[in-house]
Amino acid sequence: MAAGVVVKPMTVEAAEEVAAQEFARIVESHRPQIFRFLLASLRDVDLAETLTQECFLKAHRNWKHFRGESSAMTWLMRIAINLQKDYWRNRRIQFWRQTRANAVDLDEAGEWLPNGERTAEQQMLAREQVAQVWRAVKDLSERQRTVFLLRYVEERELSEIANATGLSEGTVKAHLSRALGRVRTAMRGTR
Amino acid sequence: MNWQQDMAGENQEFAQALKHFKASMDAWSDAALSRPRTVAEVAVRPAAAGWRTAASWALGCLLAAGSLAGAVREIHHRQQQTKLAQKQAAEERAAAAREAAFLASAQVEKSVAAAATAKKVPSVQDADLLASVDSDISRQVPAAMEPLAQLMDDSGTP
Repeated sequence: MAAGVVVKPMTVEAAEEVAAQEFARIVESHRPQIFRFLLASLRDVDLAETLTQECFLKAHRNWKHFRGESSAMTWLMRIAINLQKDYWRNRRIQFWRQTRANAVDLDEAGEWLPNGERTAEQQMLAREQVAQVWRAVKDLSERQRTVFLLRYVEERELSEIANATGLSEGTVKAHLSRALGRVRTAMRGTR
Repeated sequence: MNWQQDMAGENQEFAQALKHFKASMDAWSDAALSRPRTVAEVAVRPAAAGWRTAASWALGCLLAAGSLAGAVREIHHRQQQTKLAQKQAAEERAAAAREAAFLASAQVEKSVAAAATAKKVPSVQDADLLASVDSDISRQVPAAMEPLAQLMDDSGTP
């Protein structure tokens, strides 16, 4: 430390203020990814929004326990995965309820495509392909779907997926390989 | 290893389909995130909440009135039953008294009749006795008076 420089100890209030600002930055930067993952998993915009909020609320409550062993994104993704798991578990328990009323139809989900400079024919073909992938993803097991979406929608590294799901990297690879195989087979079958 | 490397040995069409899938998901998610929030719904809420409060109050009052009416009815019903039971008990007591009186009078009548019967029996016996005495007296005439008695029998006069 250079001589003559006085370092003032940070007060509790100041530390809390810094932590709050840091957390706000994290929410702003990671919210779209968390929302997208939940939307892809649930196909329900309102539910995805609710669970995204819940995810950040949980993260805020446990922010002081976050030790930075993994990236903030991986930590948040882990919370989101647990929330959607809880949601599916609750849905299974509430078996008398009808299937999700707000969930978007698979074909409707496939309608979303960025307006590129494609021809109408190419756009139609792309829509058809997206709808086929959706149909295949729907039939995957919960774990396979999570791994598949984290890899091919969120573009996460295998190590990050392993951290977020609490699985080993080898298990993630195995799930991913099976998921890909099933999607491939399903797409060949529809042709 | 990134996901594009996963697709290295894959069929071009399949890789393209996955790329479209991701692009579609991005577009949908962006559109959903940037969709306008329905502020009107929030503005409507107080009215809805007011309506709900009024409805819940009305329902609460209705329930309270219903339970009060039920309680009053129950009390009234119990009072009626008590009165009815008292009346019935009084009637039963009166009937019992009447029956007792009737039995007593019947007993008295019976005893009177028995007494009368008891009185009547000796008089009958007396009459019989007198009749037999009379017949004995009239029939058994001393031997010395027999001829005279025969005379009296035939004509009735001496």
